[in-house]
Formats: sequence, C-alpha cells, structure tokens
Amino acid sequence: MPVAQVSAMYPLAEQVGASRIVKGVQIPHPLGDPGLPPETDSKLRRKIVETALAALKTEVHEPTVFSPDNS
Amino acid sequence: MTNIVHVVNQFFAGIGGEEKADIPVGASDGAIGAGLGMQAALGDRGKVVATIFCGDNYFHAHAEEAMTAVVEEIRSRAPALVIAGPAFGSGRYGVACAEICESVSQALRIPCVTAMYPDNPGVEIYRGFHNAGVFLLPTRETAAGMQEALAALARFAYRLGDGEEIGPAREEGYLPRNIRRLERTSTTGAERATEMLLATLADEPVVSEIPIENWDRVEPAAPVTDLAHANIAVVTTSGVVPWGNPDGFRTYRNTSWRKYNVSELKALEPKQWEAVHGGYNTSFMNQNPHYGVPLDALRDLEAENVIGKLYPAYYVLPGNQGAPSVMKRIGHEIAADLRAAGVDGVLLVST
Repeated sequence: MPVAQVSAMYPLAEQVGASRIVKGVQIPHPLGDPGLPPETDSKLRRKIVETALAALKTEVHEPTVFSPDNS
Repeated sequence: MTNIVHVVNQFFAGIGGEEKADIPVGASDGAIGAGLGMQAALGDRGKVVATIFCGDNYFHAHAEEAMTAVVEEIRSRAPALVIAGPAFGSGRYGVACAEICESVSQALRIPCVTAMYPDNPGVEIYRGFHNAGVFLLPTRETAAGMQEALAALARFAYRLGDGEEIGPAREEGYLPRNIRRLERTSTTGAERATEMLLATLADEPVVSEIPIENWDRVEPAAPVTDLAHANIAVVTTSGVVPWGNPDGFRTYRNTSWRKYNVSELKALEPKQWEAVHGGYNTSFMNQNPHYGVPLDALRDLEAENVIGKLYPAYYVLPGNQGAPSVMKRIGHEIAADLRAAGVDGVLLVST
C-alpha cells in the first residue's frame, strides 16, 4: 500500500529511497509551526496533510518529494 | 613489539558517562580505562604507547577541530597502527571510530582497526570509505562482549604490526568493505562459472565472486485510486503516546511498536498525550501532539469526505537510534497489521 512520509529531513528520506516524501516544517514539529498563531498553524497542518493525501494519489516510480508550498 | 595508539570515548577512557560527553580531545601516555584490557590482550607483542580520548558529543559538535586534534596527537607518537574502540552498539562512538580510522589512514598511512556491533551506524560509514587500510571487526551489542572484542582486536593488531597480508573479509572475519581484489586461480572463468551453475542446479551452496550489493530498494506502491472511499492510517516515529507512557517506551533503541485507539476522539489534547523520544526537543509535540499525529486535520478531511475514513488507531514507536534490522522487522509487522485491517494508504510522520 502507498505511504506518504512527512519528514523535515526530506533529503535523507530521498537518499534512503522512500517513495512519496512530503516536506515537513522542522524535525521537532513536522506538521506545523508553533511560532504561528494557532489558527494559521492548523491551516498549515491541513495543507501538509492534503499534500500527503495528494502524494498517495500520485503514481511515482522513484523517490519523489512533494512540497506543501506549491501543491 | 608493535607500538599502538588506542582511541576511545570519554566513557571507556574512564572519565565519565553522558555528563562528560562534551570533553574535548585529550591524550594520556600508556593505556588507561578500557585500554588496560587492550594492553592485557596484546601481552608482550604490542604496546599501547598512548590513549587518545574524546567526548561523544564533542566529537560530533566540533567535527573538524576534534579530528585535527586526534590526528595530530597520533602523529606525534608515530605508532605502527591505531586501534579505535570497541564501540559495541554505541552510535556516536561507532561513527567516531570509523571516521577517525579513515582520517588517520589517509593522513598517516598506517593501518587502523576498530570493532563494533554490525548494526552500529559506524559500519555503514566504514563501508562507504572502501579503504583497504581500515578493518572493522564485529562485536556483540554491549560491553558484555568486551573480552572477546579485545582478543579479536589484539590478534588483528599483531598481524598488522608484523606487516602480514590480510585476506578477504569472508576468510578473515572483518566486515566487508566492498573492495574487489585480483586473485590468481588455476581455473578459467568459464570453468568456474560452469561449476557454479552445476552447484546451483544441485542445490549446493554457491559463493559469488562478485556479490551483488543489497540496497533494499522498495518499489513504490501503486497509488490510492479513490481517496473519498479510502481507509487511511497514521504511523509515526515521533513517539507520541498516551500521557504516562503506559507501554514503557524508551527514548531510544526501541524494539516494539504499539497502536492507540483514537476512534472516539476529534483531537489530541495536551496533558493527555506526550512525546517519548530522546532524539529531538519534545516540548512542541507535548504542547500540541498534532505535530506528530494530525488527528484534527484528518477528522476535518474525513467529515468533508476528502478521505473515506480514518483507521480507528494510529501506530507509533519512538524511532530514535533504531537499529536498521529491528526497524525493518517493525516495518513488516506494522505493514502486515495495516493490510489485515484493510488500510488503503498510510501517512507516515517522522521526526
């Protein structure tokens, strides 16, 4: 089954051959940014999760990085 | 008598544990700490002329400075060879041993030998250097294997000190460095290939002359076709667990996983969940567990029918310092569980 891996260390994920990689924010908080107001932080988290779901729907043949900024 | 410099971390130098991991590079004449055992194992065939030590954290935080200091300390003592470790399963120490052996071999052109557990991350670094002047011997995972590790290092040290030719890894017992060497044989390639073919057909063991490197490439799975009807699960290595860590996860080197039911929950509240992990600052995750398990976003997406449903539980283990072989087993176990549960796609959150 397909796996979308959210990781702030996405170059490492790419190097070891993960298939669907989603850029996380930072190592201690991949799914959001505690520096943002709570509402904006929640929106950012949703955006990253949506990017991961989009990655699950996408056919890939090699390690592929999906970026929440321009998905 | 071979003059040897021994390189150890602060713990095996007898200076202290984690609280002393920041000490810079130091040197002491003769053998100290674990080096006393090394000297005993060498007997009268080798002499530890000096012990160089460095804090586990210092070595990695001040990589260039530390390496220069180690190499200069060794150079000034002009040994015939260097022994680093044994590092057993200790990751920082193992990586330092592998990197020090490589740098010393390059700078001083003397043989170096180290020893550690085969799953130590230092082993991959050693393999990556492909250096014919560095040897890594396998040890047990913990210092319970100290005596046999020292004996094996001593045996290797005599032979290197005597300038003896060391044979291939599979005969000598050091871990392979993926170096290909020329050898003379009495039979031609065609004859050897035919022998191998016949042995294969007869189900007899066959050793390839050119082993194929096993990179463990995983073919990407086919995509989810219908997200609106898909069963989606979350797996995380962040270590987010119910408050109080009921299953007693360790902050590092875990060997098991758990799944926790969240089917009745719309969100993960702080003080009801916590992150157990020794490899990152867990305070953000403790304040907002959604940084590791995005239950809030997924519940919204479920309600909007963007996804069919969220699997009732999420899967977790703290991934810190996980041994690759253990992580591989855990991956297989979780995958089998997900498959049995009819999950269609996985969101894996890693820290």
